[in-house]
Amino acid sequence: MALLEISGLKLVAHAQGRSVTVVESLDLGLAQGETSVLVGESGSGKSLTALAIVRLLPSAVELAEGSIKLGGRELSSLPEREMNSVRGARIGFVFQEPQAALNPVMGIGNQVGEVLVRHRGLRGRQLRERVVELLAAVGIPEPHRRLDDYPHQFSGGMKQRVMIAIALAAEPDLLIADEPTTALDVSTQAQILDLLRDEQRARGMAMLFITHDLAVAHRMADSLVVMKEGRVVEQGTRDAIFSAPRQNYTRHLFAVSPRLSSATLPAPRMTAGEPLLAVRELAVHFSQRGPRWWGRKRILAAVTEASLDVHAGETVAVVGESGSGKTTLGRALLRLQPADSGRVAFLGRDLFGLPPESLRRARRELQVVFQDPFASMNPRMTVQQIIEEGLVAQDLLLAPGARRAHVARLLEKVGLDPACATRFPHQFSGGQRQRISIARALAVEPRLIVCDEPTSALDVSVQAQILALLRSLQEERGLAYLFITHNLGVVAQLAHRVLVMHQGRIVESGPAREVLFHPRQDYTRALIAAVPSLP
Amino acid sequence: MGLHFLPTDLLFLGTLMLGLVYCRNVARDPLARARWAKVLRSVGGGVASLVLALHVTVAVLDSVRVQSENEAPLTLLDHLLTPLRTGVETTYSAPFSTHAYARENLESAPGTWVRDYPRLQFGGRHLVHPEEEAAGDIARRSLRGAAIGLASLGLLTLIINLVRRRPPGRAWRQWFEPAWRWHWFALGILCLGVGIVGNLAGGWHVLGTDKVGQDVLYLSLKSVRTGLVLAVLASLITLPIAVVLGILAGYLQGWVDDVIQYLYTTLSSIPGVLLIAAAALSLDLFLSREVGALHSLALRADLRLLALCAVLGLTGWTSLCRLLRAETMKLRTVEFIASAQALGSSPGTLLRRHLLPNLMPLVIITTVLDFSSLVLAEAVLTYIDIGVDPSTESWGNMINGARLELAREPVIWWSLAAALGGMFGLVLAANIFADTVRDAFDPRLDPAARGTHGLA
Repeated sequence: MALLEISGLKLVAHAQGRSVTVVESLDLGLAQGETSVLVGESGSGKSLTALAIVRLLPSAVELAEGSIKLGGRELSSLPEREMNSVRGARIGFVFQEPQAALNPVMGIGNQVGEVLVRHRGLRGRQLRERVVELLAAVGIPEPHRRLDDYPHQFSGGMKQRVMIAIALAAEPDLLIADEPTTALDVSTQAQILDLLRDEQRARGMAMLFITHDLAVAHRMADSLVVMKEGRVVEQGTRDAIFSAPRQNYTRHLFAVSPRLSSATLPAPRMTAGEPLLAVRELAVHFSQRGPRWWGRKRILAAVTEASLDVHAGETVAVVGESGSGKTTLGRALLRLQPADSGRVAFLGRDLFGLPPESLRRARRELQVVFQDPFASMNPRMTVQQIIEEGLVAQDLLLAPGARRAHVARLLEKVGLDPACATRFPHQFSGGQRQRISIARALAVEPRLIVCDEPTSALDVSVQAQILALLRSLQEERGLAYLFITHNLGVVAQLAHRVLVMHQGRIVESGPAREVLFHPRQDYTRALIAAVPSLP
Repeated sequence: MGLHFLPTDLLFLGTLMLGLVYCRNVARDPLARARWAKVLRSVGGGVASLVLALHVTVAVLDSVRVQSENEAPLTLLDHLLTPLRTGVETTYSAPFSTHAYARENLESAPGTWVRDYPRLQFGGRHLVHPEEEAAGDIARRSLRGAAIGLASLGLLTLIINLVRRRPPGRAWRQWFEPAWRWHWFALGILCLGVGIVGNLAGGWHVLGTDKVGQDVLYLSLKSVRTGLVLAVLASLITLPIAVVLGILAGYLQGWVDDVIQYLYTTLSSIPGVLLIAAAALSLDLFLSREVGALHSLALRADLRLLALCAVLGLTGWTSLCRLLRAETMKLRTVEFIASAQALGSSPGTLLRRHLLPNLMPLVIITTVLDFSSLVLAEAVLTYIDIGVDPSTESWGNMINGARLELAREPVIWWSLAAALGGMFGLVLAANIFADTVRDAFDPRLDPAARGTHGLA
C-alpha cells in the first residue's frame, strides 16, 4: 500500500469575490522509500499541492475536493491538534528559502531541538546529543561547537542543511522538499541533492520533491508528475517519461530546458580589430564599517584585476557563483558603482575619465538589462514613459509623435503589442516585463548591452523565448552582449566567449567551446561537473 | 461689509487650494486615481471621508470672516449660527433645560423676592408651561428636523445622480447596490443628524451652556476649526522639512546623512512637551511685547495659534524624516534607479520622476496618521496652559474648564462630553481614513500589482 495517497485533489483560490481553480483532479501515490518529483513552471500548482498535504495553504486557497491519506489516515479532516503532531513528526518539510524559513533570532541548536522536544520529548543531555548527531549527519562541520550559532553565521547551503536536519529530526515517513536548491549555487545544489538522496535511502523515507528544473528532477526522481496550470499533464516512472515523453507539453519542456551541450553553441566569431569595450585591471573594493564606528574599516575586494575585451557583435558570458563579483564587475564598468582602479575604454574613450556631461552622452551606447523584472521598472510610469526615458535623457527624437512611433516600433520588435504602451508594468508577466526592459535599452540604439542575469527569474519556456529574442537582435543589429549569469546551460546557447569568475578574479577565459567542454582550471571543471544534466 | 482674513484663515484656505490642485493631479494619474477610488469605495474610507468633509466644511465656513460696520468681524459660521451665538445665558445650564443651573433672587410678585432657578433667556423661552410642554416640543422639533433631513437626503441623491448623468429611475436602484449602500446610509444618518440638531438648536441649548452662558454646541462647532487648522498647518510645516531632509540624507548619504541624522536624533531626544512649552512661552512673551499693544485680541489669539502650529510642525518632522531616509536608501539601490542612471538621466530627473513619486504613498500615510495625534496634542497642550489662547474656542480649552466643573454638585458633564465627543468623531474618522489609505497604497495588498505571481 502506498504511504501517501492523494486522489481527486482540487484546490480553489478566492480573490475579490472570484474563485479560480488552481489545482484540479490530481492523483498521486507515493510508496515507502520512493521519490516522486512534481515538476512544472510557475503557476502550475506544485507548491500549493505540497502545502495542501501539510494543511498549510494560504488563507485564500481552499481544499475543495479530494482526499489526502498518509498511511491510510485521512489528513484533510483531521482536527488541527492531531494535524500538529503529523507535521514535523510524520511529515518533514524543506522550504525554498532557508533564509526565510529559519528564525533569525534563535540559535540553530534550539531550532533543531524544538522538533525533538515537541515530538520526541527529549530533554537535557539526550536532546543535545541527538541535535549534534543530526547536524553531523547533514554535514555541518564541528556541530557541537556551532549549536549556539545564529542562522546569519551560516552560508546559504549550510542553512539549507540545517533546515534538512530540522525536517529529519523526528524521523518522518515522508519528506517534502519544495524547490530546496533553487536559491543555491550549482555546486552547493549538487551537495544538497546528494545529501537528500542519501538520507532518503538510508532512512527508507518517501520523498516528494518539487522543482521547476528538469535536470534536477531527473537526478532525484523515481517517478515524475509533470504539471501545468493546475493539471497533471503526464505521470509515470522517470525513465519512461525521460526516454519517451507522450505529451506535447512535456516534449516542449524538454526542448526549452537549457542543456550544456556543444550542439547549441553559436559559431565562433572573428574578433579582429579594435574591441568595443576594453577593461584593464579593474578593481572594486567595498569598505565595511567594523563593529565600532571609530574602528578601522574593513576592505572587501569584490573584483580584483579583471581584464576583458568585448568586440562588436559578440556575446561574452561572465559566469560564476553568487559572491564571485560578476554583478559588481558589470555595475562598475557601467559606472553605476565606483571602481577603485583600472581602466575601461569604450569605443576608444576612457569611460572613467569622462566628465559628468560627456559620461551622460556616452551612456547612450552602453545599456543594461537587469535580472529582476519587477524591480527594474518604476511602478508609477507607463510603458511609454519607461521606454522613452532614454530618449528624454539623451534629448533624442524631441517630437512627441516621433517618440510614440519609435516606442511602438520597439514594442513590436520585442514581440509585444504596441497598444500596451499606455499600460503599467504591474499588468504584465515576468517575461513580458523583461521584453519591456530590453525595449528600453534598445530605445537609444546602444552598441553594447550588459545583461545581468536577465532570465534567471523566468520560467524555462519564457527564458528560451527571451534568449531567442536576444540572439535575433544581435544578428540584426550587430549588438554586443556582456552576459552575466550563473546558468551554464544558458551560456551554451548564447556565448561566443566565456569568462569564469571566482572570488573576484577571472580564473579562466576563452572561446565558449574550450571553456565549457575542455576547461583547464580545476575550479571550472568542478563548476561544470556540478551542473545537473539531462539525458 | 467686506471680507476679512486672519493669518491662519489665509494659510488654511491656501492649503485647501493646494489639496484641490493635488486632487486635479490625481484625476490625471490613472494609478493614483485607482488608489483613491479604492479608498472612497471602501465602506470605512467612504464614510470617514464623508465625516471629514463635513468637518472641513464647518472649518471653511468658520475661516471666512465678514467685516460689518462697527462690529468685530464674524465668520460665515457665526452668521449661520446667530441664534446659538446670541442666545447667551448668565451661567451654566444643562442640555435641554429651561431653567438655569444656579439659583438667583427672583421677583415673583411685586415686592416679593424668592430664591429660585430662573428661566433661561433662550432655551425653551417660547414655552409658557415648560414642565408640561417641553417633551412635546422637543419631539415636534425632532420630527420636523428629521423630515427636513430626509428631504435634503433625497435632494442630495438627486443632485449626485444628475452629476453622474444617470437617469434617476435606474439610479435609485443603484444606490442600493452593495458597493454604495453603506455610503448612502451614512449620508442619510448625517442628513438626519444635522436636520434634527439644527431644528432643535433653534429653541434649545442642545448641549447646554458653559460658565459664562455660551452655548456648548456653538463652542464645539467653533472648535472644529481650531483642531483642523492646527493639524493641517502643523503638517504643512512638517512636510517640506521632512521630505527635503529625508531625501537628501537617503540619497546623498555620507556627511550630509550624518549631519541630518544627528539633527533629528538630538531633536527627538529632547522631551517634546518641554520643547513646546519653552517655545510657546517665549513666543507668548514676544507676542505680548510686539503685537499685543497694537492689534486686536482676535489677531493676538490667532497669532498664538499660528505659533503653536509652527512649534508643533518644527518638532514633529523627525519620524517622517527617518522613514523617508530609510525608504530613499532602499529605493536608491532598486534597479529602476540604476537603469535610469544608465540611460543618462540627470540627478534632478532621478529625484523628480523616480524617487519622489515612489515616496508619496509613505508621505500620505504618515501625514494622515499624524493628523489625529496633532488634534489630540492641541487638547493636551491647552490643558496644561501652553496651547491656544484662552479666548480661542477649542476642545482643549473646554476640557481645561472641565477640571473645575467636574468637582461641582450636581456635576457639570456636558462641556467635557461635548469636547470628547467632537474630538472622538474627528480623530476616529481621521484614523479610519488613514487605515484605508494605507491599505490602498500598500502594493503588497494590491492583488493587481502582485500580478500572476500572487499564488505561485
